[in-house]
Amino acid sequence: MNLLSILAVLIVGGLAAYLLSKANKLLGAITTILTTVLSFVMLFGIKDQIGSTETFLYFNFQLTEIGWYFAFVLSLTYGMSAFYNVCYKDKFMYPNSYAMLYILSLGGSLGLFFAKDFITFFVFWELVVWTSAFIIPLGKSRRASFIYYVVSSIGSMATLFAIMWIYKLTGTMMIKEALMSVDLNFWPSVILFMTFILSGLTKIGIFPFHVWLPLAHGSAPHTFSPILSGGLVKLGAYVAYLSVAVFPSYEIFGEGWMYRGIPLPIYFLMVLGAISIIIGTVMAIKQDDAKKLLAFSSVANGGYILIGILMMDEITFAGGLLHLFAHAVASATAFLTITAVAYRTGTTKISELGGMIHRMPITYTVYLISIISMAGIPPMAGFVSKWLILQGLASKGLIIIAFAAFFGSIGSFMYVFRPLAAVFLGQLAPKHENLKEAPIMMLIPMILMTIITLTVGVVPKLVLNFIVDVQAEAGIKVVSMTGGALDVFNGYLDATRVFVIFGFGFLIALVLFLLMPKTRSVSLMDTYTSAEFIYTPELLHYAHDFYAPFERLYKNHPSTLKLYERASLKLKEIGLFVDYAFMNQRPATSIMWILIIVTIVTIGGAF
Amino acid sequence: MTFQNFLNAFLFVLAAFAFQTSITGINRKVMARLQKRRGPRWYQQFLDIFKALSKSSISHGWVYDFGVIMALGGIMATVIFIPVADFRAFPNTDNIFIISYVLAVGMLGMAMSASGSGNPWASIGVGRALTNMLAYEVPFMVVVVTMIFGFKTASVGEIAGIQQGLGIFGWNLFRMPLGAIVGFISLQGMLGKKPFDSFIAPAEIASGPMVEYGGKHLGMLFILHDLSTFIEVSLIVNLFLGGGATFLEFGIKYFVVYTLANLVSGISPRFKIDQAVVFYYKFPLLASIVQGFIVIFTGWGVTKWL
Repeated sequence: MNLLSILAVLIVGGLAAYLLSKANKLLGAITTILTTVLSFVMLFGIKDQIGSTETFLYFNFQLTEIGWYFAFVLSLTYGMSAFYNVCYKDKFMYPNSYAMLYILSLGGSLGLFFAKDFITFFVFWELVVWTSAFIIPLGKSRRASFIYYVVSSIGSMATLFAIMWIYKLTGTMMIKEALMSVDLNFWPSVILFMTFILSGLTKIGIFPFHVWLPLAHGSAPHTFSPILSGGLVKLGAYVAYLSVAVFPSYEIFGEGWMYRGIPLPIYFLMVLGAISIIIGTVMAIKQDDAKKLLAFSSVANGGYILIGILMMDEITFAGGLLHLFAHAVASATAFLTITAVAYRTGTTKISELGGMIHRMPITYTVYLISIISMAGIPPMAGFVSKWLILQGLASKGLIIIAFAAFFGSIGSFMYVFRPLAAVFLGQLAPKHENLKEAPIMMLIPMILMTIITLTVGVVPKLVLNFIVDVQAEAGIKVVSMTGGALDVFNGYLDATRVFVIFGFGFLIALVLFLLMPKTRSVSLMDTYTSAEFIYTPELLHYAHDFYAPFERLYKNHPSTLKLYERASLKLKEIGLFVDYAFMNQRPATSIMWILIIVTIVTIGGAF
Repeated sequence: MTFQNFLNAFLFVLAAFAFQTSITGINRKVMARLQKRRGPRWYQQFLDIFKALSKSSISHGWVYDFGVIMALGGIMATVIFIPVADFRAFPNTDNIFIISYVLAVGMLGMAMSASGSGNPWASIGVGRALTNMLAYEVPFMVVVVTMIFGFKTASVGEIAGIQQGLGIFGWNLFRMPLGAIVGFISLQGMLGKKPFDSFIAPAEIASGPMVEYGGKHLGMLFILHDLSTFIEVSLIVNLFLGGGATFLEFGIKYFVVYTLANLVSGISPRFKIDQAVVFYYKFPLLASIVQGFIVIFTGWGVTKWL
């Protein structure tokens, strides 16, 4: 078994899923589960082959620690979300295309993580972009897919330009050799760095390229939103890794200005990450659509991951990579629960839901644990990663970035609590009286993902061991652990001990609760209403404008998407003018312009 | 983690509860004198709690009960992490981020339980409480990051220990005066005291998180409130006033800080919730960042001090 066999499983599986879906939709859906889960399992089979290279036709592959880690995270989210395809097979417009594109997009992702040369990298990158660009319009909106494709293309083209430039400079297409032997002055190398990383920034949704995320996540098919948030945006982090860890950016930029040991171009990107955290947080707080809310939270968390990876140090880098895993799992789980609710109720609007806990208690528990992880509260995986990032920022004294990190962290309590309070808690509307718990095929992945989040939160060593390998490969100091506890120079975290103490506290509280007199159960409508008589549950449910006083503070905020729309309008106007001036029906005008331009060019050439 | 650790932890939680509840009682008297009343006896707070615990109450479903247990459990765990003088119930657990995020478990549990009651007033109160948290927590944490950078440790106990030895001039109150001011302003918000008490103010009790609670649920939330007060005031004492070499010294500092917070609360008006956010994001945030720059770029207060 080698990495080619994994790619073969996915490519062949994708085509097989298309044909099988034609015959039977269920077979196609099951193929998506089998192939993606199989690829996840096979990854563990090739973990000991790190460093091996394979060639297939013109494609060169190499298994690296970082590529393996990303493949591990992505195939996990793909494999888990695939279970939902069984329930949703009758709701898709084109179930056969969906099944094929679903598997191929994982194949594309793994292919680019394993790529040894830039051509392979770019081909598989485009495979991912194209497959996902065709899946997104299967949901609610075509415009979302259009914007996603445009933003993606900006990034892809910039990166392609950088790749060509690197090839011209170094004469090789092999990623590692080429990136390591780039020899440029300060400013050209900054331009090269920025253009190369641009596709990563667009993918991970860093400001000002975050506009596609909420649109695409919000209107993609319900079963694909977990993939977008938990999987595809993480591709950007891989490009960011290539730009700082493989491309020796710290050495090259080290000649220029530094801010607290970080070269200014890299610090500039970290500030963009910090802005993404703040924008993602305040926008998530005001969303009424649960999927859009989680999409904006992905923008915010993308900022943490980018900052972590760009730091390239012992603590924050490990935190960024662990956050990549923790957020992928937690965010995918949160999307899966919202999908389960949408499957039963047909809506993801927070204000139309309520009291789901009384009909879907397991889904509620899963959502609760996923948001505890997303908000970075112990004892979940998200806490360990945030702890590492915060310790790292504090060790370097990056106050402004730390401010954004805290703002996003505390703000996340606000936005993750909103669906909890308004979708799952509160009053159950009479029209939802007869709902059932999510089907078993939805519960399986939800419960598995919850177990993963909790296990990694209690024993973070399980994933940190992979990250230590990555750090060793990147040639930086590895994060120090003593017997399972994180033991960095300015802090100590024994997650298991924290979990045990939390359990101890919970036990005391539980005993206290049980010792005291018994309670009497009353209905949800039997509440204090200031002597009003209210008999409609909807009127007693608080879901609109949850944070009205806070939202008022920034209700007139500028919108990046509107800015782009205005810019495109201006561009069209210029185009119309050019059309009017050059391309009209009067040949005299055209000839005049041509003569003027030729004259200018000739005179310019003389100098 | 031996049995002795767990026993110590349990006794420490009991002691923290008894200590803070007595001080709450005394402060009820202080507040009464400020308002020209006689005030209740100092142990009235104990009576209130035990009375509430002994009464039967209503329940609005399992999450309503579970949330209260999770909240109290989380807060008790946080108390166990707090270092006081030389005492640590468990070694190496007094990391500031652990303390502030385990504290959030308690807050989340309480918010969940309140929303689970199905009363919209409770949800409104929770929304206000979380907004308030976004306001006071961020400037405070920026100061904390400054300290971690300066002292190269995130352990609350070690930060307290570093300040001891130079008399009162070793305290961060003097080393980082701007940061200390921010810390005390944030304490007012953490404790839910005026001018930042709009989410839990007595006048708004019918539209706060507590609206549905009675009987043992309310009793447990009283305990929760006293324990979280203990955590917050202890943090301020440890971070800015050098903790205490002995329990007595710690207790005296604690009493002074808590009483001061109460006195400020007694003579202040009340901010609306959005005003509180704007307030915290003006002076306290600016001051915390300026303090950060002072420590990071000049080392004044950490490397250059006396």
